Amino acid sequence: MSEIILVLPVLLPIVSGLAMLFHRSGGETGWTRNRAFLTAGLVLLNSLIVAVILAGGVDGERRLVVFRLYSSLTVMFKLDRMGAVFAGLVAFLWPLATLYAFEYMEHEERRNTFFAFYLMTYGVTMGIALAGTLVTLYLFYEMLTFVTLPLVLFTLTPEAVRASRAYLYYSIGGAAFAFIGLVFVLGYSSIETSEFVAGGMLDLARAGENRNILLLAYVMAFFGFGVKAALFPCYRWLPKAAVAPTPVTALLHAVAVVKSGAFAILRLTYFSFGIGFLKGSWAQWVVMTAAMVTILFGSSMAVKEVHWKRRLAYSTVSNLSYILFGAALMTPFGLAAALSHMVAHAFMKISAFFCAGAVMHKSGKTYIYQLDGMGRKMPVTFGCLTAASLSLMGIPLFAGFVSKWNLAQAALACGDLAGTTGLEAGPGAVGRWLPCAGVVVILISALLTGIYMMTVLVRAYFPKAAQAAEAMVPGSSREGEPAEPDMASEETNGGIDVTDPTWRMLVPLVIFTVVIVVIGVHSAPLMEILMRIGGEVGQ
Amino acid sequence: MSGWEIMVPGICGMGLHLKMDGFRMVYTAIAVLMWGVAGAFSREYMAHYKNKSRYYVFFWATFLATVGVFLSADLYTTFIFFEIMSFTSYVWVAFDEKAESLQAAETYLAVAVIGGMVMLMGLFLLYGVLGTLDMDKVGPAAKAVLAGRETFENGRAIQAAGGFASPKVQLYVAGGLMLFGFGAKAGCFPLHIWLPKAHPVAPAPASALLSGILTKAGVFGIIIVSCVMFGNDGAWGLLIAGLGLITMFLGALLAVFSVNLKRTLACSSVSQIGFIMTGIGMSCLLSWAGEGNLLAVRGAFLHMVNHSLIKLVLFLCAGAVYMNLHQLDLNDVRGFGRGKPELCFCFLMGALGIGGIPLWNGYVSKTLLHESIVEYAHLLEEGVLAGEEGAGIISTVPAALLPVLTDPAVWKAAEWVFLFTGGMTVAYMVKLFVALFVDKHPVRQAEFDEMSSHYMKPLSRLVLVGAAVILPALGMMPHVTMDRIADLGQGFFGGTGHAHVIAFFSPVNLKGGLISIGIGLVLYAAVIRQFLMRPETGAVGTEAEASGGDKKAGVRGRCYVNRWPSWLDLENLVYRPVLQVFMAVASVVCRALDHMTDGAVVLLRKTVYRQLPEPKAHLEGNWLAHLLGGIVDGFGLLWEKVSGKSGDGQVRVSAVHHFIEREKQMKHMGMLVEQSFSFGLILFCIGLCLTLGYLLFVFIR
Repeated sequence: MSEIILVLPVLLPIVSGLAMLFHRSGGETGWTRNRAFLTAGLVLLNSLIVAVILAGGVDGERRLVVFRLYSSLTVMFKLDRMGAVFAGLVAFLWPLATLYAFEYMEHEERRNTFFAFYLMTYGVTMGIALAGTLVTLYLFYEMLTFVTLPLVLFTLTPEAVRASRAYLYYSIGGAAFAFIGLVFVLGYSSIETSEFVAGGMLDLARAGENRNILLLAYVMAFFGFGVKAALFPCYRWLPKAAVAPTPVTALLHAVAVVKSGAFAILRLTYFSFGIGFLKGSWAQWVVMTAAMVTILFGSSMAVKEVHWKRRLAYSTVSNLSYILFGAALMTPFGLAAALSHMVAHAFMKISAFFCAGAVMHKSGKTYIYQLDGMGRKMPVTFGCLTAASLSLMGIPLFAGFVSKWNLAQAALACGDLAGTTGLEAGPGAVGRWLPCAGVVVILISALLTGIYMMTVLVRAYFPKAAQAAEAMVPGSSREGEPAEPDMASEETNGGIDVTDPTWRMLVPLVIFTVVIVVIGVHSAPLMEILMRIGGEVGQ
Repeated sequence: MSGWEIMVPGICGMGLHLKMDGFRMVYTAIAVLMWGVAGAFSREYMAHYKNKSRYYVFFWATFLATVGVFLSADLYTTFIFFEIMSFTSYVWVAFDEKAESLQAAETYLAVAVIGGMVMLMGLFLLYGVLGTLDMDKVGPAAKAVLAGRETFENGRAIQAAGGFASPKVQLYVAGGLMLFGFGAKAGCFPLHIWLPKAHPVAPAPASALLSGILTKAGVFGIIIVSCVMFGNDGAWGLLIAGLGLITMFLGALLAVFSVNLKRTLACSSVSQIGFIMTGIGMSCLLSWAGEGNLLAVRGAFLHMVNHSLIKLVLFLCAGAVYMNLHQLDLNDVRGFGRGKPELCFCFLMGALGIGGIPLWNGYVSKTLLHESIVEYAHLLEEGVLAGEEGAGIISTVPAALLPVLTDPAVWKAAEWVFLFTGGMTVAYMVKLFVALFVDKHPVRQAEFDEMSSHYMKPLSRLVLVGAAVILPALGMMPHVTMDRIADLGQGFFGGTGHAHVIAFFSPVNLKGGLISIGIGLVLYAAVIRQFLMRPETGAVGTEAEASGGDKKAGVRGRCYVNRWPSWLDLENLVYRPVLQVFMAVASVVCRALDHMTDGAVVLLRKTVYRQLPEPKAHLEGNWLAHLLGGIVDGFGLLWEKVSGKSGDGQVRVSAVHHFIEREKQMKHMGMLVEQSFSFGLILFCIGLCLTLGYLLFVFIR
């Protein structure tokens, strides 16, 4: 049967990752050239498999029950459009990020361990994308915590240990809350299992009797899954985790892990509880407020932060909540807008992180105030960063503008709906102005984004006069000797002869930049797909 | 005029929509002309800069974006090109990378980004209310909303976005937000702060464009909001006219005080934008009062055109000065223009044009603007708003505004503000002209005279003179040239009424211009010469006399002083402190929130979920031994510190051990005693004695 192929992209990386972990191939690092080729081949193969699967149709008819944990706890894979968007996104980014990681990690020890877990994470993320039931999603969600923990811990510095501990506490705590939601969904399901159905699968007659309890369960699950999506107040692990190697921060903490959280919330809202049940309730206003608070808060913290990667991490906190805000709108257009920001943010943030990583890799500079004049020395890198920054700010011609425009339009349309359908006095009155307030929040946040991204660029391109003069002085002649990644050691690598990194870093960066611009200029095909997803869940 | 239209669906989300009509054609032509002239001039001006390619890339990128703004047929397209224009022109301001430029660029960027975001908010709201951003449809839709109708022409119901306020209020809010965004770029009063800083530091050809045409992109937006959306709304007209009057007066005041060549020109730009905005406001007011507003519309449009052309010439003249001297302070460039007829001619054309001297182009547009204010005041005196028809008009604005809107005296005052500002314009242009072409530099005059032959290359000379000739050509044949331009543009403003031929050089119209010129000359003689200049300080003066060997050694130079109080700066006085206070508060709040969750977890760990303590190793000895030992140790340490001696070689043994040892000995001894036979006997004896004693006691009693 052809459906068996659905399990391949999940199992292949996990199994081969485990094999790599237990079969060490000599050498201190346990890493050889052949193994690098093998890893690259596996990642590519997996992405190809995903491509084949997506090409075979995404109408939600293809499903594969793997096994049953217990009566209604079915572990099942299923491919529908929304899963396809996430799976496609991840499959596109992973090979490029792996390519980048080869160069970034080339001076690290324990590379074997790193790439083994990196590979396994791929499989687990695909598991989340292809999950067909909430139980499956939950299962892989928990697994994700454990396979990514060693990656956060990788450098083994006290900072990394603290970060991974925070990550563990927060994630497990969050999963516990999410579990509550799972229990209630199973309990009130109209189809016995927890399978995702576009538009929700609660038994509305039974659910109506215990409406408030179910809403409470939804809010808990929202915040529970929200931990991985860095929702306030449980976002703290994300900036801390910026100590991890850049390929991890870029791919996992800007895309795979955090988007899994957002994806889970979209699944929960639109495919489990259903917007018919949630819309207009107090639960909607609670989660929407939380998302808005996080948007503002993340941006404000990013402005204050001077460590470059942590600043980007705070920016991620803020941007993830754009997605959650879209989810909380609970309209078809809201879902489409949320997904569009999910895609756009994936590209622009991974690009920004990769630029930060390239600078760290070549010069060891990790703080923003050290970046004076770097724009001249690494023109391609900073060109890509400029595109990513403008996109993050939401300047027209770049992807970020399209998604923010969609979000704002969806918010205003949502306000329309709440105003005209005549909801009950209490929450309905909130519903009139809250989405509009959300638009204001998005714009203020865009302004703050302007501050925290432009300061980096301005420093890089227009250094203060004194430092510029100093930078002109030809200095030490350590050509091509790269710095140890992560360890800030600007004294030894004064950054005098810093140049753009090699093609292994530049190719992914340039590809991302092109994608950002393409989406920004011609977003119609993408939006068409996303609007269809929205159309499926809406009434 | 019939034009073409292009729609590119799918680009940037909603698709682009470009269109060509009379107004757009005029401004596209002006843009081409200005970029052409500035580009030709740049070849010489930029010859010695190292980042030339960067300059040219952003130079032409901005050109495309600016043309895109002027051609846009819906506000979405306008916004897209507007943002691109803001960012590409940022590079101009920051171009020479001096501290001052970077500071100015920072302000420029901040205003541009904030303006852009606020404008975007306005667009969202507008789109929510009207459901369209197309400029042709926005007007009727907005009028329907303002009239309180339920549906548009095409039957679409009006929906208040989010429903938090009535559609009318939302429309005003949207208009206000867009005015903020466009006004920031235009340099309108409270947001003009970036302009006097950014224009002087940019390369001169770029300043010419920034001042001449980028500000007009902002004005373009203001026209759309004011004339298209709120075309016949009295309250809105009052707002725009009021802002225009404040802007024009304040800009001129700053220009009079300024002692920097390009800064004066930049402040003059602010002032001229005020003139244009006044015209736009008056067109709304006239239309509101039910009269034809062509006077105001044509005045505003022609003044836009004139100002673009004049500022091109003036900034390029300033560029010619800077190119040779690399200085802009009036005291440093004094006398540079002596003996340079081309420069003198060009600057004079610009100065006469902007000063509103009859026969030059500025006079025509200023006359029209002046007449529009006069006409409005005249209408009020006639009592147009008094009758029954007037009551209907009056009811469309809030009652609080009526005293201002209907009192002729207010508009008489506005007319005098207008004339006085015109006077200040003359005054500061005379100041610049005298400084450049009449005054002599006390030290370097000979050096300056030497430059007369080679201060400009032929190409620059040619384009500059060419651009300057346009100005009197327009001004001397207004009916042939300017009327036709105005005919092309007025449709865009929604001008109504019939265009009657205006005799620009009739005594009535000349009167206004002459009053301004009179005021200007008086101001120059009375204020600038007396108050804003002082005799050269001795040292420089004598040096000049000694070194120069000038025949007129007795004539002491007078130098320009900056009497503007340095603290009186809107940005440093208001905006930055407000921003800093806000940031400080936000920082405290954020920090508190940041530690909230972690704090809660740590608190729980330390209290409710505290782990049981590890079992401690049993201590040797009892507490008394530790206490005494500790005390002795303490004294020991103290003694070492006091006496300065320390057992370098040997490790000092803690006294605690000593005490523990003693205690053990004592315990051991005690055990021995307790276990001995004699101890038992003694105890028995004591007991026996006590018993006997007790028996005796009982017996005796």
